[in-house]
Amino acid sequence: MANVLWLIPLLPLLGFLLNVLVVWRDSDAARRERNAGYIACGAVGLAFVLAFIAFIELAMLPHEEQHMHVVLWEWINTGSFSVPIGLLFDPLSSVMVLLVTGVGTLIHVYSIGYMHNDERVVRYFAYLNLFIVMMLMLVMADNLLLLFLGWEGVGLCSFLLIGHWFERKTASDAAVKAFVVNRIGDAGMLLAMMTIFAHFGTLSFVGEESFLERAREIAGQYVTIPGQPTWILLTTGISLLLLVGVTGKSAQLPLFVWLPDAMAGPTPVSALIHAATMVTAGVYLMARTHSIFTLSPTAQSVVTFVGVATALIGGTAAIAQWDIKRVLAYSTVSQLGYMVAAAGMGAYAVAIFHLLTHGIFKALLFLASGSVIHGAHDVQDMRRMGGLRKAMPTTFRVYAIGAIALAGIFPLAGFWSKDEILATAWGKGQIGIFAILFITSMLTAFYMGRQIALVFFGEQRDSSYHAHESGPMMTWPLWILAVGAVIGGAMNLPVLHTLTHWLEPVLEEEGKAFDLTTLILALVATGAAVGSAYGGLRYYMHNAHRIKPNRQDPLYRYFGDIWNMFEEAWYVDQTYERYTVVPWYRSLAGFLGEIFDPQGIDGMVHGVARLVQGAAAGVRLVQNGYVRTYALVFLTGVIAIIGYLVIAW
Amino acid sequence: MHLFDLPSGIPWLSLIWISLFVPTVLIAVVPSSQRDLIRWIGVVFSFLSLVLSLLVFFAYDPAQGGFQFVEKLDWIPQLGISYLLGVDGINLPMLVLNGFIIFTGALISWNIDHRLKEYWVLLLLLTTGVYGVFLALDLFLLFVFYELAVLPMYLLIGIWGSTRKEYGAMKLTLFLMTGSVFAIIGMVAIYFGSGLRTFNMIELANTVTFSGDFQRTFFPPLFIGFAVLAGMFPFHTWSPTGHVAAPTAVSMLHAGVLMKLGAYGCLRVAMWLMPYGAQQWLPFFAILTIFNVVYGATIAMAQRDFKFIIGYSSVSHMGLVVMSLAAANEIGLMGAVLQMFAHGIMTGLFFAVVGRMIYERTHTRQLPELGGLGRVMPFAAAMFVIGGLSSMGMPGFAGFWAEFNIFIGVWERYPLVAIIAALSIPITGAYILRATYQVFFGTVKDPSFNALPALTWQEYTGGIILAIILIGVGIYPAILTELIHTGVAPVVQQINGSINIAGF
Repeated sequence: MANVLWLIPLLPLLGFLLNVLVVWRDSDAARRERNAGYIACGAVGLAFVLAFIAFIELAMLPHEEQHMHVVLWEWINTGSFSVPIGLLFDPLSSVMVLLVTGVGTLIHVYSIGYMHNDERVVRYFAYLNLFIVMMLMLVMADNLLLLFLGWEGVGLCSFLLIGHWFERKTASDAAVKAFVVNRIGDAGMLLAMMTIFAHFGTLSFVGEESFLERAREIAGQYVTIPGQPTWILLTTGISLLLLVGVTGKSAQLPLFVWLPDAMAGPTPVSALIHAATMVTAGVYLMARTHSIFTLSPTAQSVVTFVGVATALIGGTAAIAQWDIKRVLAYSTVSQLGYMVAAAGMGAYAVAIFHLLTHGIFKALLFLASGSVIHGAHDVQDMRRMGGLRKAMPTTFRVYAIGAIALAGIFPLAGFWSKDEILATAWGKGQIGIFAILFITSMLTAFYMGRQIALVFFGEQRDSSYHAHESGPMMTWPLWILAVGAVIGGAMNLPVLHTLTHWLEPVLEEEGKAFDLTTLILALVATGAAVGSAYGGLRYYMHNAHRIKPNRQDPLYRYFGDIWNMFEEAWYVDQTYERYTVVPWYRSLAGFLGEIFDPQGIDGMVHGVARLVQGAAAGVRLVQNGYVRTYALVFLTGVIAIIGYLVIAW
Repeated sequence: MHLFDLPSGIPWLSLIWISLFVPTVLIAVVPSSQRDLIRWIGVVFSFLSLVLSLLVFFAYDPAQGGFQFVEKLDWIPQLGISYLLGVDGINLPMLVLNGFIIFTGALISWNIDHRLKEYWVLLLLLTTGVYGVFLALDLFLLFVFYELAVLPMYLLIGIWGSTRKEYGAMKLTLFLMTGSVFAIIGMVAIYFGSGLRTFNMIELANTVTFSGDFQRTFFPPLFIGFAVLAGMFPFHTWSPTGHVAAPTAVSMLHAGVLMKLGAYGCLRVAMWLMPYGAQQWLPFFAILTIFNVVYGATIAMAQRDFKFIIGYSSVSHMGLVVMSLAAANEIGLMGAVLQMFAHGIMTGLFFAVVGRMIYERTHTRQLPELGGLGRVMPFAAAMFVIGGLSSMGMPGFAGFWAEFNIFIGVWERYPLVAIIAALSIPITGAYILRATYQVFFGTVKDPSFNALPALTWQEYTGGIILAIILIGVGIYPAILTELIHTGVAPVVQQINGSINIAGF
């Protein structure tokens, strides 16, 4: 299998190429749509099968040798600088590959139903396949540069897919915003790579010579070569630069603003890219390079702070949204904050655990919300919904399962992973962090209860549309994900720690012992989650009559402006728009472009030109063609010379 | 990449420029009523020149390195002037670049109707000059070709241009002439200062060590003289104005290869012949290029004219080239040459899209008046996005390798400069996307856009060729990097070795 690892990303690549080069030319719209869907699904499905085989093979290897590596070709090689295209399939990559291809396949299948009759469906499936290729490159890369290819590639696909309906202003605005905000993160990544290359001479993850190992070696030795930074400065610098990249891609403070807007894309795209896979790339990156982060306590504190703050802001924003998808989007921001916080506390295996379970149940929630939107004829405002459980019973059931999993209620997947993160914070004695994460988990349960109440209970508040259940092409992927959301926690139960153990060769973490404190924490957390979820559900069922399109939330009268602040995600986006860099930069650009360059720089140029003109005009006075003028000049000259000679003599 | 050997005894390099000089004569004698014949002559011969340069490209042996296919004839031996051509890892990619740009540019020029005979003669003459500059290893010969490349520009812009064309043409010519004056000062100084009375650059570089004071004095005029043509701040304003005013194929050549002549001259003449001067002065120029990179990108952000955006993006990208020249280490110089190639192809594609596919149809380039063209001409949108991705340094496109090498190179020598220049990464993304968004996204702004004439096969062919190169080099950069490495390594050695003469 090691030799044919490249088949895993190659299959979706072939799907992409087939769709772009062949299917696209088909003149029969119905056949074109069918072929595009089948090719795309088949490619990803086969990739999943292959990945599963590779995974089994990897599991059969002895624990220390669990590692498949294949170098395809030298990508670039110029003396000191060489980067191969090499694929790595180790325990960490393997779980990511399974998540990407597994959830990816289901979302592809779902898309066949969801995107039915879309006019650009071939393009859609082609980009979806391309996204899978890039995501696989990201998680299977054996060096940072190849990872960066995937990193940028998924960003590009995200841009293209958010902008799928580019005629809509919101969609094209959101696509551009997502891309530009991510570029800021990418600049950080690029600088991190340069620093790594300048100091370690390699960007590889694999083997003794990898920069990860080298960083470990220099740790503890105070390198005092003049002009060179000490190792602590170096690792802190690299970690913080990488963190800039992470905040972009994984939608953390202060760059999370693109993710809620990205919901303007088709819902399956939100599920795949903006919930389950791409946005978790930052967490994966931190896990992959954890040996650098671990060396810098400063960087780790910053990471933790960023994660915790993001979790809280995302959670508070999610409770105040009206758009069904924006609730989930802010919830994703918040949950990503959880993962980043876990990584910051050094619990990388726990972060990956939450990444995997979240990938499953958030994909489920998004797809189910897509089913709601589809059934409700593109209505996304929850104020216009209500009572949909009658019209869409299946969707209601799977949505409820997803919501319970996300709320972290025993024994569904989210309970186990979220609880591990809370336990980690508690175990580290980080009470402040624990408290914020705990509050966030209550918020999570509350907004999911609120959402269920608003969407599925009560009476339909807007009767202008006739809601219907989605077809089987869309519902059976939901059921599979629902099963995953129920049993997903089993991959890393306390005491057993299957996942932690599986990841141990890469992340070097031991599972935490199970003790009374953990149990109490678990009980308290579940109690709080159940309570908040019930509170949210009850409150909004009870106040259903107060909810009308374009009316404020019933909680608004208690919170007032604070509720508005929640709804606008603490005004982070507005701050950028109105008060800080963006307007400032805009006016600078305007000044430079309209005044400084044309008038300042060119003004100098024109000045020189005028000077030359003036001089020419002066000369022209003399060169007037009259012999008498020349004679006069000549005479003056002669007198001057003679005068000079006389005086000097 | 050494694929095959070419039979010796044939002056391959001369054939390259002659293959473009011949059609200028041919077209001159063809009656101007034979419009398609003239076009075909132009296209076929430019294709021939491309094929010849590709032959040389694949026959060059990087393992051996150095100058190959050298041709030498005495021209004016009394003055030490010779007809000396040769290729190495630096100018070979430039030849191929020029081949691609003139071939696609010729295709794109198909719709020129006004005084078409003169247009083609001048266009091909200009490109002949460009080939000559890249090929010449004799300083005097280089300048002869250089002037040949610059002069037709004035007429091409002045007659076939748009938007303040007379102003643009005059500004461009005056700037470039001023640049040449500086460069000629440096050249004459080299000629007399070396004591050899020769213009042979190989000889000058290998046998002469100019004194420290001499190099300190004459490096700046020589470098600036060429850097004006590369659009270095604050001598950049001619370039956007010129780009905008020029007809499409000329914009392609202008931004695609002409600006590269400047950077090429900086590297080949100034830095190669005066390595110590380079050592001393380059930090200063590195600081100037920060303005190009960040300031150019910022201004691109504020433009409303589509062509001005591309024009200022060229200022920004060429700034990266000069910046990495200033780093003067192997990776930096590699990045510089790669960027010249990548930017040449990319900007060619941009102008083909903006100037030909869009402007010639919509007759407006103002972003607020455009919109929704993605629906009307999806091909143009795809091409622009591919060019844009390369431009913003997306991995998998040629531009990424260039920028990556540049940033690593600059980072090694001037970390602070690299950090400031990194600001251009999000800015570039922003202005490219802003343009993409305003022009191609959204609903069709003007109903008349729905009835625009379809793209022609020439436009498709040209666009596809350039796009394939951008992606091809992005996926397999080794096709260039190995070669460029052999070319820049000696220059770096020269510069590093020159520290010893500091005691002069």
